[in-house]
Amino acid sequence: MNYRQATWERETDSGEPVNEPLLSEKRTGTVSHDDVDLPDELVREELTLPEPAEPEVASHYTRLSQMNYSVEHGPYPLGSCTMKYNPKFTEDVAGLDDGAIHPDRPDEYAQGTLAVLHGLQEYLAEIGGMETVTLQPPAGAAGEFTGLLVARAYHRSNDEDEKRREVIVPASAHGTNFASAAMAGYDVVELPSNDDGRVPLEALEEAVGDSTAALMLTNPNTLGLFERNIADIADVVHDAGGLLYYDGANLNALLGRARPGDMGFDIMHYNVHKTFASPHGGGGPGAGPIGVVEELTEFLPDPHVREAEDGSFEFYEPEESIGKVHGFHGNWLVLLKTYAYISRLGDGGLKDTSAMAVLNANYLASQVDLDIPYGPFHHEFVASAGDVDAAEFAKGMLDEGVHPPTTKWPEIVDEALMTEPTEALSKEQLDVLAAAFTETDRKTSEELSEAPTTTAAARIDQASAARNPQLSWRDVEGHDE
Amino acid sequence: MTYETPDDLQYTDSHEWIDDREDVLRVGITDFAQDELGDVVFVELPDVGEALDRDAACAVVESIKAVSDIYSPVSGTVTATNDAVVDRPELLNTDPYGEGWLFEIDGAVPDDALDADEYREQIE
Amino acid sequence: MQRIQHDETDQSDELNESSPFAPQTPQEVDTMLSAIGADSVEELFDVPEAVTFDGDFDIEAKSEFEVRRDIENLLGQNADGTEFLGRGHYDHYVPSVVDYLSLRSEFLTSYTQYQPETTQGFLQALFEFQSMIVELTGLPVANCSMYDVATALGEAALLSARVRETSGSRILVPETIRSERHSVLENYADGAELTTETYPLDEGNTDLDALSDLIDEDVVMVYAESPTTRGAIEERLPEVASLADDHDAAFCLGSDPVALALLKEPATVGADIVIGDASVLGLSASHGMGLGLFAVKQAYLRQVPGRLVGASETANGRRAYTLTLQTREQHIRKERATSNICTNQAWVALRTAIHIATLGASGLADLAEDCVTTASEAAARLDDVNGVSAPVDDRHHFREFVARTERPAADVVSELADRGFLVHEAGDFEIQVCVTETNNDEVDDLVAAVREVLE
Repeated sequence: MNYRQATWERETDSGEPVNEPLLSEKRTGTVSHDDVDLPDELVREELTLPEPAEPEVASHYTRLSQMNYSVEHGPYPLGSCTMKYNPKFTEDVAGLDDGAIHPDRPDEYAQGTLAVLHGLQEYLAEIGGMETVTLQPPAGAAGEFTGLLVARAYHRSNDEDEKRREVIVPASAHGTNFASAAMAGYDVVELPSNDDGRVPLEALEEAVGDSTAALMLTNPNTLGLFERNIADIADVVHDAGGLLYYDGANLNALLGRARPGDMGFDIMHYNVHKTFASPHGGGGPGAGPIGVVEELTEFLPDPHVREAEDGSFEFYEPEESIGKVHGFHGNWLVLLKTYAYISRLGDGGLKDTSAMAVLNANYLASQVDLDIPYGPFHHEFVASAGDVDAAEFAKGMLDEGVHPPTTKWPEIVDEALMTEPTEALSKEQLDVLAAAFTETDRKTSEELSEAPTTTAAARIDQASAARNPQLSWRDVEGHDE
Repeated sequence: MTYETPDDLQYTDSHEWIDDREDVLRVGITDFAQDELGDVVFVELPDVGEALDRDAACAVVESIKAVSDIYSPVSGTVTATNDAVVDRPELLNTDPYGEGWLFEIDGAVPDDALDADEYREQIE
Repeated sequence: MQRIQHDETDQSDELNESSPFAPQTPQEVDTMLSAIGADSVEELFDVPEAVTFDGDFDIEAKSEFEVRRDIENLLGQNADGTEFLGRGHYDHYVPSVVDYLSLRSEFLTSYTQYQPETTQGFLQALFEFQSMIVELTGLPVANCSMYDVATALGEAALLSARVRETSGSRILVPETIRSERHSVLENYADGAELTTETYPLDEGNTDLDALSDLIDEDVVMVYAESPTTRGAIEERLPEVASLADDHDAAFCLGSDPVALALLKEPATVGADIVIGDASVLGLSASHGMGLGLFAVKQAYLRQVPGRLVGASETANGRRAYTLTLQTREQHIRKERATSNICTNQAWVALRTAIHIATLGASGLADLAEDCVTTASEAAARLDDVNGVSAPVDDRHHFREFVARTERPAADVVSELADRGFLVHEAGDFEIQVCVTETNNDEVDDLVAAVREVLE
């Protein structure tokens, strides 16, 4: 395949070669507030910002968009990120005027919104096998933090918070797990993987105890492997008085086939921007609802939605609520898209999603001629680039017109290429992706070091970006401010 | 890949080198350590006069994708720091045993320090 | 498309319904299975029987038309009413160009820019967003988003504790802060063993004597807002900043990009950190969804939470953009990261940047000035109603203000709602009214309704 990303090679007025000049390098305006009815000491002297006309705005951002690879360009197999197709109709649903309301409306003036929120709470609870779900956390990491606040509130209610100071996290877990535990005030105990890439039961038995607040687990784990001992793991943690936390990053593998609640998990988060197709938006917004078992429902964030006796919906504050984790009700527009997506798929579509996601990953792996040390995997696999630096391998793949996998992680695989095609890639696209792996594997290290050559930017100097941070147009050399 | 490991220096398991040829100990990171880290972009040093315990994390070296703590090989007081590496972190990559030194501390080389042969064995 | 059962011996009929967003044909499924060497898709699942789910969710699949119809019907149950609501979430008109450009799938369906060579477009847009926030705040470092202003406040508190040479444990916030925002702050503070306390305001301004009595060396951060939750423009920010500075505490200011276009630059009043909801531009009313603005002074650079985009250059000397200083972040520093944030509000930041670009300096300045004028005019007109005095705080206001009512506010709010006007209850005998260009034409009707209710 011959691929070239759109690019505009231009120079700024000062002669610096760029793809597209900054807005500030086009027309700017400087204004002051001479007529406003405020004392001078409260008012800024002047404000300088770009002043493009609307046609210039449209042109600027259209060009920028064309220098940006996306799911709709082709394979985007970032492991753990679940880059699937984002159905268009969900955007129209999110754009409905009736949904554009203020969060402080009294319940009786927001019945439609509350009905959607309640409906989504119920959908997600059913899908996760949980008692109920809060929709307030605005991202997966926020869900983790919320879940750990719930765990802490639970231990406090048992007068055990003082002694339960540790959260156990497998070494292969997402970095957010460690950081969320630290933010919730816990010490992190790292658990190494065993030889087959799973949680070692014996080491876990040794790690848990009176000081254990929770174990955070991803299942299938970041190698795509199902933790077969999950029932025993749950027993070990529960016998020690700890709680079991499910990181929902890989739920796409299990939709309709296994539920965290049935596996013994007490708390889970859902990454709706992964599993339920709300678009990733270049890094967000997502949403990270959390589900809990019945014993923990009273600790959920304030407010929660319930159905009143007369069939209307209302916000209420759970009795022992941890309080709030978002200033209002979370990322409403993302939640609305999620509700629309799940409604569209229904039981059959959800189960087909996990089936095709797992089939796609296994088929792709069968076509990729790299070592894949751990299996059987589900929706993703981790291949090794062998003697080649995985980050270099990724740059080589860019020239094949695909997005590369997640690289160098999990560290248990040398030069890891963590690959998750999702259900949304057709067989033809999987073959394109497999060919990209093969072609890249043939490249010499010299060719790789020169890659990419087909993208809007050639290899970027990361070191000088970090040594000499230029974080706004004021810092850019030759900028006239 | 072979790494430079000067014979006249002492080493630690955590890839620091110690130069005891002057009155104070000079400390830096080894050629192996800088290669593992990749392009160093940021260095944070202890304060002169700071009292350090042995094995205390006392400096930070960052590359684009990794963060590494530097541990004090001895208990003692910091007598000097190399401000040049704060301004030019790349010195750790280009000259780890020379211009890329990190700090000086008063104290004696610990008994369990490795000599160059022992350290070479460890990184092979 | 109906994906056909490919394994006749499989008792379940689970595969009889397929996802419209999974493109494999039955023939391709067979080809793929044989390439793998498996007989069925079921065989690929390594899930022990004991934890296999064989039930149903009882979620009925719907056509696209049915989903849209049903959600339209549901949302239609949101009662009609003209909102004069604010208190931290505002409805400004968002130009169509913002939707059309931000909804381009190249932006919408891309991920975080971990491969910068192929995501220059989004990186540049975020770099420009950061730059706009730098212009508005006067602070040199702005990240490319937190979730919302409340979580940004929580992160500001954690940052303030980290940068302090000596340990401290107290955070001071104004008594007028939204209780929800305060609650989020407490949750962030708790894990770091920080506590929060409120200080009083006097007619919309910080009570400096009270603050001075409260502050000591144990305070790591003082937070103030302008405009306040009650819409007043705070006049004592420089004094608050210097009180904080005298005690080696960080001064964090809460504001928003429209207000910042008019008010004194935070950097010049002594703010060390500026937070706010930047989605007042870019998103219309969206049930509280936000965009956390986060800017700091240079000394805090290495302690900033969240992503930063920096400028650099390519191997062939062309300017390029990349995520930078990533060693602060969770995927590298794990439990020692500056924050756990990963997914943020990048796409909202894109929308905000497009909105600001479309307004330009003059458009944004005009919008900000209108926020002062409309609030003051509406307050004056309500003040003319018998039984109402407005504004309660003897200050200048931005977008919104509080009015005192002779009758209990709860009754007034409820009777106004019956007439189709939604306002806040701000106290036992206080209502709060927010006016922007989207409801300014209906102020006449609101005033008439208030007159009916109170006279």
